[in-house]
Amino acid sequence: MDTLVSQLQRQFRDYTISLYHQGFLDDQFTELKKLQDECSPDFVAEVVSLFFEDCEKLIGNMARALDQTGNVDFSLVGSSVHQLKGSSSSVGAKRVKGLCVTFKECCDSQNFEGCVRCLQQVDIEYKSLKAKLQDLFSLEQQIVQAGGRIPQVDI
Amino acid sequence: MESVINEEGRSDQFPVGMRVLAVDDNPTCLRKLEELLLRCKYHVTKTMESKKALEMLREKSNMFDLVISDVEMPDTDGFKLLEIGLEMDLPVIMLSAHSDYDSVMKGIIHGACDYLVKPVSLKELRNIWQHVVKKNIGSYKKIIAPSRHLLPTSEYAPSGSGKRKEKADDSGDGDDDSDRDDEEDGSEQDGDESSSRKKRRVVWSQELHQKFVHAVQQLGLDKAVPKKILDYMNIEGLTRENVASHLQKYRLYLKKLDEGQQHNMSQDAFGSRDSSYFHMAQLEGLRDYSSTRQLSSSSLLTRSSLTKFHPSVYSSVNLQGSNSSSFIPPGHHQSSSSSANPFGTYHSPLLARSQNVNLSPLEPLQFPRSKCSPYMGDFKGIADRGIGSSFLDSRMSFGSSSTSLPCATSNNLMLQENFGVSDGNQSCLNGLSSFPSHHSWQGNLKTTTRFPSQSLPLNHAFGQDQMTCGGTGLGDYNTSLVSADSHVGVLQCEPPFLGDFMQNMNTHKWEEQNCTMMNNTFGNVDYPLPVDNNMVFRDNNATRSKGVDDSLMMSPIEDSATTLNSRECVGNVTMMDPEMRSSTKLENDLVDNQNDVFDDIMNEMLKQDENNGMVSVAARFGL
Repeated sequence: MDTLVSQLQRQFRDYTISLYHQGFLDDQFTELKKLQDECSPDFVAEVVSLFFEDCEKLIGNMARALDQTGNVDFSLVGSSVHQLKGSSSSVGAKRVKGLCVTFKECCDSQNFEGCVRCLQQVDIEYKSLKAKLQDLFSLEQQIVQAGGRIPQVDI
Repeated sequence: MESVINEEGRSDQFPVGMRVLAVDDNPTCLRKLEELLLRCKYHVTKTMESKKALEMLREKSNMFDLVISDVEMPDTDGFKLLEIGLEMDLPVIMLSAHSDYDSVMKGIIHGACDYLVKPVSLKELRNIWQHVVKKNIGSYKKIIAPSRHLLPTSEYAPSGSGKRKEKADDSGDGDDDSDRDDEEDGSEQDGDESSSRKKRRVVWSQELHQKFVHAVQQLGLDKAVPKKILDYMNIEGLTRENVASHLQKYRLYLKKLDEGQQHNMSQDAFGSRDSSYFHMAQLEGLRDYSSTRQLSSSSLLTRSSLTKFHPSVYSSVNLQGSNSSSFIPPGHHQSSSSSANPFGTYHSPLLARSQNVNLSPLEPLQFPRSKCSPYMGDFKGIADRGIGSSFLDSRMSFGSSSTSLPCATSNNLMLQENFGVSDGNQSCLNGLSSFPSHHSWQGNLKTTTRFPSQSLPLNHAFGQDQMTCGGTGLGDYNTSLVSADSHVGVLQCEPPFLGDFMQNMNTHKWEEQNCTMMNNTFGNVDYPLPVDNNMVFRDNNATRSKGVDDSLMMSPIEDSATTLNSRECVGNVTMMDPEMRSSTKLENDLVDNQNDVFDDIMNEMLKQDENNGMVSVAARFGL
């Protein structure tokens, strides 16, 4: 009979794997996990929170810049995209990072429509990742609360 | 391991505790970077504002060992931070999400000691301490005099080995690592043991290099892997590791070529960053000289020439720069990063004039296990023998027949030192001893009055007892390396021989060239010798012998290069001197002499090197 712990652990493992397979996460996220240890037990949670905060701030900047109809500062948008690309690649937010590449191209070519589209996509994508990671962390907490260990998932 | 802070404010357990200032306006990246650095056991100070970073840097000059900063920060230009860091002689590593050629080039040209592309990996950060060492050779030297304590090698070994391993792996010399580590550990403990182990060195002579280039071209630069190159070259005794490190240098050299040689050279003067570049340049440029050089790859690759570099020596031998490492007590490297670097940077110069002895590429980061003291002993021995100060090509091709100049350049010594470092004696020397003095250089000896053409006896002598550090090696070196024919040959800067050197005018030039080359050769690590190192020597050394200059004049441009090398060697030797001082007065004298001679040579070389940019090499070595 499956104990609660082993069930949760299995769920955790499956969910993690699916996130990688669906392209939400990449190996940089794995690297982040490796940096988490007894000395920094909440490192991953901390960094991804910073990331999501970053996303909010940068998306806000970009939205404001794009709102200046007729006077859009594409270089400003571009630098924000660059920042976003940096953060997303650091945490392993693969889809977000991918979108940033397209987004950057739109900025460079001053494609307003393209930028707006990209911005919308980035917004959706980061929120989606945020929700998924929250689910993942929640699973972790449940495992720990049930007295189990968080399994190491090898992708 | 408790953390001990030395007078420089750095941890004695270096690289553990290395103080890093991390700057990035992206909080996510910064936090991750911080954690990565902490994982490497560095001490991290982070800030998102470059203004704050600048304040911190200005506030206390030695608060940090290294700065790592993003280039694109909206509020400040990352390059500004870079400039400040450079002013303070701090290594600055640039970080960026941009990986395009131009961005990287811009960073490097502005003086960044490294350019990392985000996302940065732990592996990359584990190696950044090498930049601190390289940059701090000068201060390391300062430490030598007062403290004179040797780094407890045993302590260092484990972490050092690990790091070295990583580094080696990165450059493809994984096989060497275990060997080096073993040797290093062994040598550390046996400081006084006479070198029974022969370190084989590979001298990248002109011919050998040509074979190498031919192999690479045949395989295609992209597909040229050490193993294939090795097979293609089909040279007995050449190891994959030798080829791998040489390949690395070659690649760097080619890269530099793209940028324009002149630009590089001019920039590199005094602190050129790419000793390997120079080395290669010399190798390539020496083709003209090949006719004058009698070195044949086969002769070069005799057992003596193909001595395996002792890992520890490796770094030291490399260049004159590494020479400095030789005199840098092993202990130093732990305490200050600077110690480690010398070896790294010096590699290339020594190898430069491939003609003769090209020490196989030394891992830049090799921390010399420093057998400084043995080194001094060696000097003594050399002096005793009355070996003329022929400038042996710093190229140190051991036994490379290179020059007829019996230039016991410090380079050679250094090389020796380095080699011997780990074992405490000999590695270099042993290699030297094994160097068949009967090499072509013997013929050359005729031009060098001092050296008994056989130098063999010397070699042997050295190999056996004192030469632990390569001091003996030098002796050997001088004799064996002096090859009349191959002037360009190896500049061996052997302090003891300075006096004799004076008399061997002919060889001086050679040595200069060699030195330069050697310096270049070793430049695995592209850290130029701290300018002040050079200064030390130049200023200190009175122009001793005009004769030396004259002889230096004799050869063409190369000579100046060698002079530089020899100077550098000298300089290096001098640097070691403080450490050695414990030995004997004689040793000190030798060193002093050496400096003088080299100084002259250096001046010569500097003059001559204006054009070919050799100056930087020499300057690098502080000759």
